[in-house]
Amino acid sequence: MTRTTAEPGTRTVDESARTPEQHATARRSARRSRDRRHKLVFHLVTGALVVVVLYPAVWMLVSSFRPSAQIIGNVSIVPTEVTLDNFVAAFNGIGGVSFWTFFMNSTILAVGSVVGIALSSAVSAYALARIDFRGRRVWFGLMIATLLLPVHVIIIPQYIVFNNLGLVNTYWPLLIGKFLATEAFFVFLMVQFMRNLPRELDEAARIDGAGHLRIFGSIMLPLMKPALVTSSIFAFIWSWNDFLGPLLYLKDPNLYSLPIALRLYVDQTTGAANFGPQMATAVLALVPVLIFFIIFQRYIVEGVATQGLKG
Amino acid sequence: MKRCMRIAAVLTAAALTTTACGSSGSGDGGEDGGDVNLTMTWWGNDDRAQRYNEAIEAYEAENPGVSVTTSFVDYPNYWPARATEAAGRSLPDVMQMDVSYLRQFASNGQLLDFAEVEGDGVDLSGLPDPLIPSGQVEGAQYGIPVATNAFTLFTDAAGLAQVGVELPENPTWEEYHDFLREVATAGGTTEDGQPVYGAGDYTGVFWMFIHWLNQQGIEAFTEDGELGFTQDDLETWLSSVDDLRAEGLLIPPARINQLSPLSPFDAGETTSEMTWDNFAAGYATNNPDVELELQPIPSDDPENPGLFLKPSMLFSIGANTDHPEEAAALIDYLVNDPEVGDVFGTSQGLRASSFQRDAMTMEGLDAEVAAYEESIEPLLVDSPPPPVEGFGTIEARLLEITENINYGTVSVEDAAAQWYSEAEQTLADNQ
Repeated sequence: MTRTTAEPGTRTVDESARTPEQHATARRSARRSRDRRHKLVFHLVTGALVVVVLYPAVWMLVSSFRPSAQIIGNVSIVPTEVTLDNFVAAFNGIGGVSFWTFFMNSTILAVGSVVGIALSSAVSAYALARIDFRGRRVWFGLMIATLLLPVHVIIIPQYIVFNNLGLVNTYWPLLIGKFLATEAFFVFLMVQFMRNLPRELDEAARIDGAGHLRIFGSIMLPLMKPALVTSSIFAFIWSWNDFLGPLLYLKDPNLYSLPIALRLYVDQTTGAANFGPQMATAVLALVPVLIFFIIFQRYIVEGVATQGLKG
Repeated sequence: MKRCMRIAAVLTAAALTTTACGSSGSGDGGEDGGDVNLTMTWWGNDDRAQRYNEAIEAYEAENPGVSVTTSFVDYPNYWPARATEAAGRSLPDVMQMDVSYLRQFASNGQLLDFAEVEGDGVDLSGLPDPLIPSGQVEGAQYGIPVATNAFTLFTDAAGLAQVGVELPENPTWEEYHDFLREVATAGGTTEDGQPVYGAGDYTGVFWMFIHWLNQQGIEAFTEDGELGFTQDDLETWLSSVDDLRAEGLLIPPARINQLSPLSPFDAGETTSEMTWDNFAAGYATNNPDVELELQPIPSDDPENPGLFLKPSMLFSIGANTDHPEEAAALIDYLVNDPEVGDVFGTSQGLRASSFQRDAMTMEGLDAEVAAYEESIEPLLVDSPPPPVEGFGTIEARLLEITENINYGTVSVEDAAAQWYSEAEQTLADNQ
């Protein structure tokens, strides 16, 4: 609010008989109604955007309760015929593999990724942000450079390496990199976060006789909670939704994760595609991600809010 | 410093255990005369998975010492996964193969030539002779056809009864066009009030064009993978429905797009469609009122409808296999064993091998499709070799271009010239 313009005496008042106070009040109420109008337009536009963005999700939810034959070509989100058959079919699994197997596989991969990324990235970030070793800047630069490599360039060499190690059709190819801090994005995120933490904290700890392990474990790790939570959320969601990795490395249907299982319902070349159970599985697959996000999102906000108060 | 050393030691130990786990897990045995483990993969859905599981369990029971590890995904994702494996020389021992990918995998040396398999190999005597070249690339057999499809003219007897039009048996092209005109002008509508047409503009379907070329005695592709027909041939074909187009008697492309992914025939808005006969099941599912009838596509010479069998899928062996004989034996079982035929029914198309087909009892639509393929057997020409690389692109482009003709944005003459030069370029790029 630009209140200063309404201060008496700061403006010439000869254009009307109104006192400066009256003038200011009139202007203020005019502005307020303009603000209200702006707010209304703003809310209408964002509301419309929300509808556009959420429509497919709502459609998916409604479709999961529709008979399979009524799903395709039907854009309505008003349920006409409600059935639970899709969910029954979804829980029955595919090709002799139960839904819970897929669910467990996805969970193992996601939890493994979260643990791996949180541990390895925090340790690597500590080294890059706090320890002065020879070539630190070069190593940091190299790590950032791996962010620039398109995934598609490394798929095949990586596959050949894992294949020669005999690790294809296990979870190792999908998890080991995460335990070795190869996800440069997360390392970078944590390095930046750690650089913002005051150095005086670890210097004080060092004077008290703490080594690197102690400083990392007792000083840095607790302070890094927001960065760890942010990383965990992304790691979880990315792993949960990852399709290409499991597609290439997992051969046994008993090891498939949910995104692969989702595709097994709708093979267009095998007669009528079964969209109902696919929708139902998709809805079920979304639930953990939603829960995870709802639980942890406040930490993101908290992280931003406490950022300025450190020290 | 000491601590750092300890961490390093732990990490190294972890890495070593990992490698150790891996190598012990991948040992298949086999070299010591013990059990053989085959890997096998296919594209498909739940239903197909259950059938394969059943067939393979039976095989394992009959062949102690052989175990089969199976894997499956959907069709579009099947190919990136196989391409990655091919790069790592780790293709499965047995895999379901599609004709449109056979040439690509075979010409890169990733598939095993069945002639190199020692022992009994795969018995091809049950397959119709004209079908066998469909699994060959440059004379070598890289794929064994599992089941077949043939092109057919579908009509919906129920829909035709409603509009009161009949199609003569084995129509000539002129009779077929007259039929399309009659249906479109009969003024029939569907339940939703949509006008009923005879068909869409079928000249955009590349396979349809190939059949028409066969009727004229022209091969679509030369042995060198170039176009075997002239631009004039294409123009003649595209302009064959000019009159119907001009009078608006073909279902408009805008409506076809609205109905997608259903076809107008699925929706009951056309009363005939020319396509592969395995579409029958889909039509019956999507349109419960349909009364399907199958007959050979129109031809001016009833003795030569230009029809051939196309393998709906094949089996191939990865060139990197350690157990070619066992892999071939498994394929032989899947392709020729009557019990496997019963397990799969017509879900993969009509079984190619007579050992399976003759032992099957089929009902309803399956029997109708089987009877159709049997009826055309004396008329068949040799199956074309696997499509040239780039086939998919030029196939899609023909459909686009005829759509533009129907929207009126391009003349038939220009469209033919444009498609022809583009197709030549595409084929040259893929050489």
